[in-house]
Amino acid sequence: MSAPAKSQPVTRTPFKRWCDENTGLFFLIPWIIGFLVFKAYPFASSLFYSFTDMNFFKGIHQYGIMNYISIFTDRKTTTALMITFKYAFITVPLKLVFALFIAYILNFKIKFVNLFRTVYYIPSILGGSVAIAVLWRALFKDTGIINTLLGFFGIQGPNWLADRNWALFVICLLRVWQFGSAMVLFLAALKGVPADLYEAATIDGASKTKQFFSITVPMITPVIFYNLVTQIAQAFQEFNGPYIITQGGPRNATTLVALLVYNYAFQSNEMGMACALAWVMFVIVMILTIIAFTSQKHWVYYSD
Amino acid sequence: MKKQIALALAAAMSVGMLAGCGGGAASSTAGAASEAASTGSSGGSGSLTISWWGGDSRHAAYQEAIKAFTEETGVTVEPSYGAWSGWEEAKSTALAAGQGEDVMQVNWNWLYQYSGEGQSFADLNEFADIIDLSQFPQSALDACTVAGELQAIPVAMTGRTFYWNMNTYKAAGIETAPASYEDLIAAGKAFQEKLGDEYYPLCVGPYDRMIMMTFWLESNYGKAWVENKTCNYTVEEITEGMNFIKSLEDNHVIPTMENYYGAGFDSIDKSTQWIDGQYAGIFEWDSSANKYNDALADNSGFTVGEEIKWGDKANGGFAKVSMGLAITETCKDKESAAKLINFLLNEEKGASIMGTECGMVSSAAGQAAAEAAGKVKPLVKQANDIVMGFVDFQLDPDYESSKLKGSDGIYTDAFDGFSYGDYTAEEAAEILLDGVNGVLASA
Repeated sequence: MSAPAKSQPVTRTPFKRWCDENTGLFFLIPWIIGFLVFKAYPFASSLFYSFTDMNFFKGIHQYGIMNYISIFTDRKTTTALMITFKYAFITVPLKLVFALFIAYILNFKIKFVNLFRTVYYIPSILGGSVAIAVLWRALFKDTGIINTLLGFFGIQGPNWLADRNWALFVICLLRVWQFGSAMVLFLAALKGVPADLYEAATIDGASKTKQFFSITVPMITPVIFYNLVTQIAQAFQEFNGPYIITQGGPRNATTLVALLVYNYAFQSNEMGMACALAWVMFVIVMILTIIAFTSQKHWVYYSD
Repeated sequence: MKKQIALALAAAMSVGMLAGCGGGAASSTAGAASEAASTGSSGGSGSLTISWWGGDSRHAAYQEAIKAFTEETGVTVEPSYGAWSGWEEAKSTALAAGQGEDVMQVNWNWLYQYSGEGQSFADLNEFADIIDLSQFPQSALDACTVAGELQAIPVAMTGRTFYWNMNTYKAAGIETAPASYEDLIAAGKAFQEKLGDEYYPLCVGPYDRMIMMTFWLESNYGKAWVENKTCNYTVEEITEGMNFIKSLEDNHVIPTMENYYGAGFDSIDKSTQWIDGQYAGIFEWDSSANKYNDALADNSGFTVGEEIKWGDKANGGFAKVSMGLAITETCKDKESAAKLINFLLNEEKGASIMGTECGMVSSAAGQAAAEAAGKVKPLVKQANDIVMGFVDFQLDPDYESSKLKGSDGIYTDAFDGFSYGDYTAEEAAEILLDGVNGVLASA
């Protein structure tokens, strides 16, 4: 009887071993290429261009911080920054409150609730579209449906699109109307609040209002926090509404920073200035996000 | 083993993706080459791209003309077209990226703004054996010569004139179209009294106001707005021009900018106020006559008006090259592109299809072909005759710089700010002059 053959030790070349250990990298190559070409390179190059007077057709003739100085001294850019802050501080809280309010109602067992949920979500799908922006203009022009309706009640409606204060309100309203995505998240969060908490509170005699502020709101603070951060970032990037409805007018009253970036980049070809303004916007959003993250330990409740 | 298969698959996917990036170009080149071989185009790809902006009737004319060109030469032409709104932004970006179409319909100022050193468009003098340049007025060719190169072939010359809706004028008790400043002031009063506050004899936007003020200044002072890259006017003179515009607002001749924006329209021809006759006049390009005529609900009263002589030093006003056809430097088959331009502007078949869709054509042969085919629109010809017979100044190309006439440009700031009461006439004049000088200095 012959002894069983001994199995040969596996010998791997260093290259083969490296390949075995880094197989995942090969799967990531398509994504890495896309990230480097379409994200990292534009991101880095825009920072470089922000320190130049880059023009599409004239090239670069000057380097320095002149664009950043202009941004904080030029009337056009400082006004746009102020209006964008105003826009964000009006629309973000209003949208969150409205979305939570509707989600709260739709959380009750009512007839046709699925239909209502769909109907309320539709503006979020359509809201950013050109067609809705055109519709908005038709609604709010001086002889539009809104003023006609107000006229039935003997109210002389304002010149919505031409009055500096009302024009911004019209743009804000379009954004608040698109509350559907935030509403869906709130709805999911509301469903996750344990029913026994409400039962205990009811036994203790807590009113519905008390239950809402003492149970519902604290339990859904993680979703409120998430919505807050995403809505802030989106508000500072708003472009479609002012571009299509008012083109930034009247008297630049609705020229938000994103629209001004577009105007610099594609109307007057001042790419350096456009990049600098985009970076200022990025830093502002980043600071606000950091503030939100820092503050969450004081008001966001993670049950687990 | 599994890992090795996965590795091979991943590598194959990556290679496939990378190949996909370049493969398209390679295969399209091969396709084009075989197409060129089949069409017999020498040294070219046998296919071209072309872009233009305009309305529906212009789109239809171009499409019919390029179809006829393909039938005649075998060169396929892929069009891209749209409305003016946002067009310049899209095309300037494409030019900057070297992605412009082979043949582009270009606005006159684009030659200076986007190809000031000849970097974007080819010198068409090199194709003088294909494009019959003798058909075009030398002055128009000179206007398209930038950096010593003929960068576009002038399609048409254009200028501004008045169009009136006489049905509304008659409803206000006025039987003849305004021919003077006094007529306009009287019309403003009559419109307000007899038809109501929402009726105006004339409607002009911020850029229209700038052009109208330029006409007024040139007529009253007898000098061009800009000459040799210098604005000929002082703040005091421009202030007078601003006050002229304000007097039209104050006398209910034109709506204030607040009323204008409150109406919420894209352009005047699409406004219910124009369609229904509440705005009974406009100051527009001669090539736009049909657009405004067709937009009216009842166009029986549409009238091409005579120019108004505002002062006694000159007629005032300007004509300019309305648009040109250019070949981009990135075009691979410039000879075929030149043939296409000649076909559209000079050759009987192409020019008779194009007619006056781009305005009264500059090419003598093209105009003769359009007339013979009955494709000259009478309203366009009438308007063009009025403008060309009146204006006595040329326009500086920087007048239409996007920094000046853009939606947040200097013209809008000065005229809107003045109309809204943010600026006095002097302040608006200073802003305007500073802005114009800034653009001229950087040009």
